[in-house]
Amino acid sequence: MKFVDEFRDAELGRAVAAEILSRVEPGRHYKFMEVCGGHTHSIYKYGVDDLLPANVELVHGPGCPVCVIPMGRVDDGIALAHIDGVIFSCFGDMMRVPGSEGSLLEAKAAGADVRMVYSPLDALRIAKQNPDREVIFFAIGFETTAPSTALTLRRARAEKVTNFSCMCNHVTIVPPLRALLESPDLRLDGFIGPGHVSTIVGARPFEFIPAGYGRPVVIAGFEPLDILQAISMILRQLQAGRCEVENQYTRVVPYDGNLRALQVMSEVFELRPHFEWRGLGFISHSGLRLSDAYADLDAERRFSVPGVRVADPKACQCGEVLKGVIKPWECKVFGTACTPERPIGTCMVSSEGACAAYYNFGRFAREREVV
Amino acid sequence: MSVENVCGSTHCITCGDDGEPMTVIAVDEQRGLALCEAEGGQRHSVETALVGPLTGGDRLLVHAGTAIATLAEGPVK
Repeated sequence: MKFVDEFRDAELGRAVAAEILSRVEPGRHYKFMEVCGGHTHSIYKYGVDDLLPANVELVHGPGCPVCVIPMGRVDDGIALAHIDGVIFSCFGDMMRVPGSEGSLLEAKAAGADVRMVYSPLDALRIAKQNPDREVIFFAIGFETTAPSTALTLRRARAEKVTNFSCMCNHVTIVPPLRALLESPDLRLDGFIGPGHVSTIVGARPFEFIPAGYGRPVVIAGFEPLDILQAISMILRQLQAGRCEVENQYTRVVPYDGNLRALQVMSEVFELRPHFEWRGLGFISHSGLRLSDAYADLDAERRFSVPGVRVADPKACQCGEVLKGVIKPWECKVFGTACTPERPIGTCMVSSEGACAAYYNFGRFAREREVV
Repeated sequence: MSVENVCGSTHCITCGDDGEPMTVIAVDEQRGLALCEAEGGQRHSVETALVGPLTGGDRLLVHAGTAIATLAEGPVK
């Protein structure tokens, strides 16, 4: 398969791993954060970290949109789903995210009409097929997904679909990265930048990291060779005393991003003054809501939403995992009280969450290490 | 492709910031949609407002039902 097979070539992988080994400075410990949940998933699935020298450590970042949804927003969604006549639609992983009194999947079991969709366009289609029902789309995701929601809302407006609205939980990647860089308990040597977010926003928004914090960033694709090459490129920068944003994923990511996507996002969305991130707290200008021009399609304005803030479960250490302070297996409930079948924290819900990815793939490798 | 396949136990294309390569089969310029085929042969209606203009045979990267980039022809670097 073109664009896939070339980047899973085992021989090339070993060659890049040897190149990485040649670039590390003996006695120095390197800590790189992969920002994106998709990278986390690939690292565990393909055993990328098994190919790295022991002194190169990968830390999992906050780039899984499901993992950063706070419980209060889930509760708000469930409240909307229980409104008479409402069809509530959301992406698959969102269905299992626990709120304070259950998940959307449990709300569905209790009688709410909750439907899983593949795209916002599917939700709009449901609205057109059910003109006598209100259809709400629970929008999540970073800048990769936000244009899809924006285009769907614009399409709903153009096609005069009045029974469709959106509960917007879209977030932006730069503010949490800045918050992480300001965090005193985190030491990082470089970042593997998010590939598909960068397809939309380009590489430019990440320039503040080398400029302001002296850390290299390499935007990377999602195949194992992409990630290995990105690590090698970060090491090459460190070795040469350089610090900049580089683009490993040139086959997809233009440096300036997708201008059409940025335009439709600026038309449909505006920044919230602040938005709560699970484990990271409130971060200024990190979330999107519908602009006034699209107020009539905003579910939070069309319906009454409780908007109650709910504290994360005490046993759950998703926050520390999201900040890369602890590894998934260091959480007290990992793999015991918290499993993909019965998740306590959101990092165990999404298959791109660090805990679920490690539970599904990495724990076997760790068992080998222990032996 | 069913939603179960997309958001199954081992992967979720939306949450994973993922993109799926697809080939354009037919373009509906008026509606801003294209019928596209994924590698496994499944066909989807894809939003094309962010890319284009498109013709049959073009390769796209699709995320959550929207084409977010066109994939270059020729050998992969």
